[in-house]
Amino acid sequence: MILEKVGLSIGGRLSVAVVVTMLAGPTGPFDIPLFATPSVPAARGVARLVYASSPFGVAVTADGRARYDVQVTASGLPAPAKLGAFNSYVAWEVTPDLDKWVRLGTITNGKSTVGQAELNKFLFVITAEADSTASKHAGPTVLHGTSPSGWLQSFLTHPLFRGVY
Amino acid sequence: MRRLLAVATLAGLATTALAAQDPGQTVHPFDKKTGGSASMHMIGHVVTHPGAWKLADVEMEQDPSRPYVYVSGFTNFDMQIYDVRNPSQPKKIYDWTIENPELHRGIGAMDGKYFKIGNKYYYAQSYQFMQGSPDKDLGAVIFDVTGLPDPSKVKVVARIRYPQSPGGFHNTFAYKHSDGRVLYFATVNEPYALVYDLDKVVSGADSSTWLVGKVPNPTPFKQIGTGGYHDFYVGYDPATHRDEFYGAGLGGYSTWDVTHPEAPKQIFTITGLGLDIAHTFTPSPDGHYAVTETEYQYTPLKIWDLSEGQSGKTKNLDLPISGWTADWRDLSHNHEVRWPYVFVSAYEDGMQVFDLKDPKNPKTDGYYFTCGCVHEHGFGGTPDNGWESTVSVEQGAFGVDVRNYDGLIALSDMRTGLWLFRMDGFKGWNGHDFGMPNISSVQDYDHGPEGAPARAASSASAASTHQTHGNQ
Repeated sequence: MILEKVGLSIGGRLSVAVVVTMLAGPTGPFDIPLFATPSVPAARGVARLVYASSPFGVAVTADGRARYDVQVTASGLPAPAKLGAFNSYVAWEVTPDLDKWVRLGTITNGKSTVGQAELNKFLFVITAEADSTASKHAGPTVLHGTSPSGWLQSFLTHPLFRGVY
Repeated sequence: MRRLLAVATLAGLATTALAAQDPGQTVHPFDKKTGGSASMHMIGHVVTHPGAWKLADVEMEQDPSRPYVYVSGFTNFDMQIYDVRNPSQPKKIYDWTIENPELHRGIGAMDGKYFKIGNKYYYAQSYQFMQGSPDKDLGAVIFDVTGLPDPSKVKVVARIRYPQSPGGFHNTFAYKHSDGRVLYFATVNEPYALVYDLDKVVSGADSSTWLVGKVPNPTPFKQIGTGGYHDFYVGYDPATHRDEFYGAGLGGYSTWDVTHPEAPKQIFTITGLGLDIAHTFTPSPDGHYAVTETEYQYTPLKIWDLSEGQSGKTKNLDLPISGWTADWRDLSHNHEVRWPYVFVSAYEDGMQVFDLKDPKNPKTDGYYFTCGCVHEHGFGGTPDNGWESTVSVEQGAFGVDVRNYDGLIALSDMRTGLWLFRMDGFKGWNGHDFGMPNISSVQDYDHGPEGAPARAASSASAASTHQTHGNQ
């Protein structure tokens, strides 16, 4: 209603809506909202999956899984040393059963790009680590999210259809 | 004239509202209800967790030598064990949390049941995690708690997973079957209840042998025409020598003969208007009457005469004989029947007890408000908004349990933690004192259900031997 009063066309209003949506946070099928943990409750972040560079248009592994760079925007992360004997924040792609952790790279407040993520469904986890090149995670989790492919959910698992509580 | 009509209408509405209430009770102000009736004595209270949400269900052991209370930590993803040998000072002796809790998403630890096989005691903690979360297929974690009160002797001995339908187990029921087995009934996001043989689970048998039966749900959620049970009760009927399953199937209720759990036989259903989100179904010890709950605001608990269904005269019941609610503006939740008393965890209305001495005229016997919460700011939404809602009345008293040998009452409150009570005139419960079989949700793991053939007891001792030899 307000947009009509200022004379924006339907197309203009759609453009405004898109910008507002982008500013409001991740909503698309390539976006991963990141959630804070009790270690750093003030941390905030989002990640976006972007097809990795490829001469073939779409980047895939030899067995056909999509390969993504992960663009991370984070804020509220304190210096790692404030959490203990740590010097960096490391991003991991993790299988949903937490069995396999693959180091993707280091991140800082602001924008970072790590990767490549190659799992079908995965958790995206950022931990504080003592060694930025570590291949095994050891420090506390500060942010985490789920790949959009992991969101698919049986209709019946919605709380409403469980008879609520 | 118009003003007169308006006054008359308002007077009529007020009369209707009061009629829905136990006429012996006045309606308390909406928000932050406190205190209780003179008959209900608060013995102990523990704020179990920091944060807005604390507990889902509560379970109390029934052996006088084992004064332990288990609480399900809900969105905290943990379970805690309290020693209540001094009920005024419950002492936390054990706390276990799912591994990597910060990476999990879901409503978490929901329901707990203890059970005994041979001379060993166990506790099964049900879990619910969302798809996309670790452990989305995890239904329950089984602990050996024989060594309590020494917490170092508590061990995780098994995990029940059901990957065919992610989402875990919302409700469970541990049942000492008349054939001697200890069975574990579990809800799942499929149109049936699962039945596990707990001896196989705890003895390390191949997990493909654990599941021994499925009870179909003939009354699913109407709007989608499918779906599983929300809750159930299983009890033995000495008159018919049947093990009977009473299931709340979201679209109504159904009863099943599970004497042979591998091949359940349907007995009768309860369907009709106003039974959407059929949630809980608890019979009297003799199966003559039942209390049911439907999970939406303003609905009362309903009381049913089951006799025509039990006898086979009808296949469906649709008219309750009476109803009861703590406050018609809220919602009463889970309940435990110790005939003629019904102990209710009544969400915003806390601990409530009414009786069915006259089943057509339920009477409130006592209450204690445990939530102290703001009306309609209950559980809802998602983890991302802290599960907070501005419309839900689902907050406060969630679960209740009653210790039969001495009448101690344990209640779990979603907002405030663990509470212990005693009620005047209630020193314990044995069905024989009320002309009923001594049958309730409490299981006699040593002897099997009352009135069952002797094989239940003999199987118990066989199981004991079985455990001793660790042979499966």
